[in-house]
Amino acid sequence: MTMTPPDGVDLDRVWTNVAAEVWRRHPGRLERTATRFLRSPGLARALLTTPSLLLPWLIATTVFLAVGALAQASAGQPLVWLIAPAVAAVGVAYAYGPGIDPAWELSCSCAVSYRMVLLTRAVAVFAVNAALGLAASAATVGTTASAHAAQLTFAWLIPMTAICAMALAVAVATRSANTGAAAGVAAWIIVVLGWSAASSAPGAAGVSLTAAVTDPSLYLPYLAVAACCAVIVGYATRPQRGTQ
Amino acid sequence: MNIELSDITRKFGRNTAVDRVTLEAGPGVLGLLGPNGAGKTSLLRMLATILPPSSGQLTLLGRDPRNPADRREIRRRLGYLPQNLGYYPSFTVVEFVEYFALLKEMPPHLVTKAVAAAVEQVDLGSKAKAKLRTLSGGMLRRVGIAQAIVNEPELLLFDEPTAGLDPEQRVAFRALMRDFGQTATVVVSTHLVEDVGAACSEVALMSNGKIVFRGTPAELTVRGETGQGVGDAPLERGYSAILAAARA
Repeated sequence: MTMTPPDGVDLDRVWTNVAAEVWRRHPGRLERTATRFLRSPGLARALLTTPSLLLPWLIATTVFLAVGALAQASAGQPLVWLIAPAVAAVGVAYAYGPGIDPAWELSCSCAVSYRMVLLTRAVAVFAVNAALGLAASAATVGTTASAHAAQLTFAWLIPMTAICAMALAVAVATRSANTGAAAGVAAWIIVVLGWSAASSAPGAAGVSLTAAVTDPSLYLPYLAVAACCAVIVGYATRPQRGTQ
Repeated sequence: MNIELSDITRKFGRNTAVDRVTLEAGPGVLGLLGPNGAGKTSLLRMLATILPPSSGQLTLLGRDPRNPADRREIRRRLGYLPQNLGYYPSFTVVEFVEYFALLKEMPPHLVTKAVAAAVEQVDLGSKAKAKLRTLSGGMLRRVGIAQAIVNEPELLLFDEPTAGLDPEQRVAFRALMRDFGQTATVVVSTHLVEDVGAACSEVALMSNGKIVFRGTPAELTVRGETGQGVGDAPLERGYSAILAAARA
């Protein structure tokens, strides 16, 4: 028996609608939240796909941790501390750049700025590693490994996450990845030099440019900065009444 | 006019890839022909706003891509298939096309149906949920075409789109180009003259960074009859006659 569609029914259109429903990918809660924070479904998807791009992820993480370990080993070298974040950021940029990212050229032709995607991915790399560092130090508590993991996490991973989150917050608020990156660099220099000046004030103990990362009293502020940046981005990108 | 180029030059160090090209194009399919190294890909990358020109004036969809806001708007209305399109192996066909639809800032409520329509247009419905790592080269090329057309672009740029496609798929792709050419400007860079003859309303032939011929495929054929071209088909003879004249 042959069935024919009623007059006026476009079967292609019907099939496309059916296919769209069958293939529909429902974003998870994390992606919906990221979409709201970043004001861009494209950026949110880029953020969440960051770890699934395995090779870039491994390269970025290796560079990031290696620079952190080098910085830890060079506690008396202020230049290392000043340069280390830039080296880590360059490592992330390289990992997700033209040499490694297979779809880099295509991404560059898209409306969502590739620099913004890169900044988002840097935050993802830093934040996930910070979480892993916290988990590692908690899992090995009471051992020497735990002390090392905690030091790396609090003196390197968390400050870098905070600075990068701030850069992303500025970038999202100003809609300019360049402005965000400049704000991140400026913030890091101000923190390093400012805390150095504060620690060398009369009566203060020790004079060191590395005070910004070796002073345990700054660990909580770094976490607070990261949290504040998240709140600022959330507030700046809150849905307006009547728009949804 | 969707494309307006005036004296566009692109240099890489001492090498001039595109040399003072002036070109205008409205809706239709424009074939960009030329030998390897003629400057086709560089020109296409400038049209895709990836590569800025070294000098000259470039206007796309009535906007200046040097202005960030204009560039963003152009990119929303642009479809681009690079010559060497890389893929994320762990993505499915639908995920890949959807990812680029989102990066093109399509309104989210339109994305799902647009992705399904694009996947169906390239005849990949049966592979919609397949991981890209499991697809053949021709199928991957069609995934690339799907992401290029997903936002129904007004400016569609294809760099060697039929490489890896079998004859049946190439015929279907030419029909797709002609359909888009009704309303959009389609620029297709290729070294396959049969694609040009079958799908393009106009042809621009490049040699050493310059456009040495601009006309219809029929006019290109005529040049083969009067010139000293070699080749099996009339278009090939026209192509080689113009290139020979340009080199002389």
